[in-house]
Amino acid sequence: MTITNILTALRSLAIAIAVWWIIVLVASVPAYLLPAPDAVAARFVFLTQTAELMKHIRVTLTEIGAGFVLGGLLGVAFGWLFVRIPLLGRLLSPLILLLQTAPKIAIAPLLLLWLGLDMGPKITLIAIVTFFPVMAGAAAGFAAVEKPYRDLATLLHLGTWKRFRRIELPFSLPPILAGLRIASTQAVTAAVIGELMGATYGLGYLLSLGQENGDASVVIVAVLILSAIGWGFHEVIRLCERRMLSWHTSQVTLDASV
Amino acid sequence: MITIRGVHKEFSINGASVTALSPTDLDVSRGEFVSIIGPSGCGKSTLLRILAGLEKASGGAIAIEDGSSSRQRVGFVFQEPVLLPWLSALENVRFPLDTAGVSRAEADNRALQLLKLVGLSGFEAALPRALSGGMRQRVSIARALSYDPSLLLMDEPFGALDLITRDRLNDELLSIWAQTKKTILFVTHSVEEAAYLSDRVVVMTPRPGRIKSIYNVSLPRPRGESTKLDPAFHQLMAELRRDLI
Repeated sequence: MTITNILTALRSLAIAIAVWWIIVLVASVPAYLLPAPDAVAARFVFLTQTAELMKHIRVTLTEIGAGFVLGGLLGVAFGWLFVRIPLLGRLLSPLILLLQTAPKIAIAPLLLLWLGLDMGPKITLIAIVTFFPVMAGAAAGFAAVEKPYRDLATLLHLGTWKRFRRIELPFSLPPILAGLRIASTQAVTAAVIGELMGATYGLGYLLSLGQENGDASVVIVAVLILSAIGWGFHEVIRLCERRMLSWHTSQVTLDASV
Repeated sequence: MITIRGVHKEFSINGASVTALSPTDLDVSRGEFVSIIGPSGCGKSTLLRILAGLEKASGGAIAIEDGSSSRQRVGFVFQEPVLLPWLSALENVRFPLDTAGVSRAEADNRALQLLKLVGLSGFEAALPRALSGGMRQRVSIARALSYDPSLLLMDEPFGALDLITRDRLNDELLSIWAQTKKTILFVTHSVEEAAYLSDRVVVMTPRPGRIKSIYNVSLPRPRGESTKLDPAFHQLMAELRRDLI
């Protein structure tokens, strides 16, 4: 992400806000439907000052972070196990597929029933949506480690951990990171779903609060913050990809296209 | 150095038993350069892989006598370089030492020496994708030598290279062999390569894979351009070719 890119993004943002403002002024949209940008900004400052907004953000970020790490680690571990023990993969993959195809919004009430209104059910839901793309990527990556490289590991008497750490994991990083990148946007959605269903804190809770009070500006503040979180998260993973995969051809082509 | 007695290998495809290698006897002395030549499917690679511990023999005995007590007695060079693409040339050469827990300074020192030996000084930091096919195979040879094995097994190491690069690497291999005094077992399907490099050439035939004959190569060393003009060299190649049919 270069300075030019940031400037371009800022310019697009400025244009969008200007268009928003003009629409509100010219069409004289009532504030309870679409408040003007300055009203939203004022609401943001107000929410920050009452100190609650920061707590909402912190709770959502914690849920996303914990769920993402948990789902990511489990995804890599199961991807590895399924390649290593094909029988386990055949036994468990129908169950995992079932879990994956079930709409997340349908699982959320169940998780809330089981785990309460705290962060637990949200973290679990985020871990579930993170798990699948990471597991699929990891399994594809581990399965694609070519035989000569496995021969090399045998030749050097590498134990299971060193084999994993020094050969299999680096080879599988491109699909694992691609899986994490897909998961990163889904994780934010999952956090919101969980919080909408029932919570005492979090940006999703703030959304439902705004809706109940008929306060569109609160909803818009929450949506904007959630977008910023999703975008930042995605960029962090892109940065990891560029740093860790500079040896890989995918980065050359990606940099050219994006 | 190596004593192979009655080593054989069978495997089954859809229930049918296939013999990859008939019971084979072979002795290789310390410091000897022995080539194994034969058409595809003659079991030459199988024999090499059994010696390296990459495959299990169905039966027979192998004894590798070795003065040193190192755990890692066998260096292996594959047909492809099999370099780790995220590691530099130096790190690839150092890889066996790193995973064996050798200290960083010692490993670096050793890897630098070996890169110099294979003529790659100045390319320490290059990633494999920035190197040519011949250079990658040189890195691969340096890696196989990193832990100083007394026996070097090479499975068609130059088979994927163009002829000019191949000729140059053959000469470099002879120079490395002269400097390091390794025992080399070299699998190839090139008659010229086998005759040019070896002390002895083992000819194998397929279905079932077995040793057909063994040739002593008495061409004088060091070998070079004059060897390629030597009538005895051409005589040997003609004999090997006839034997392979």
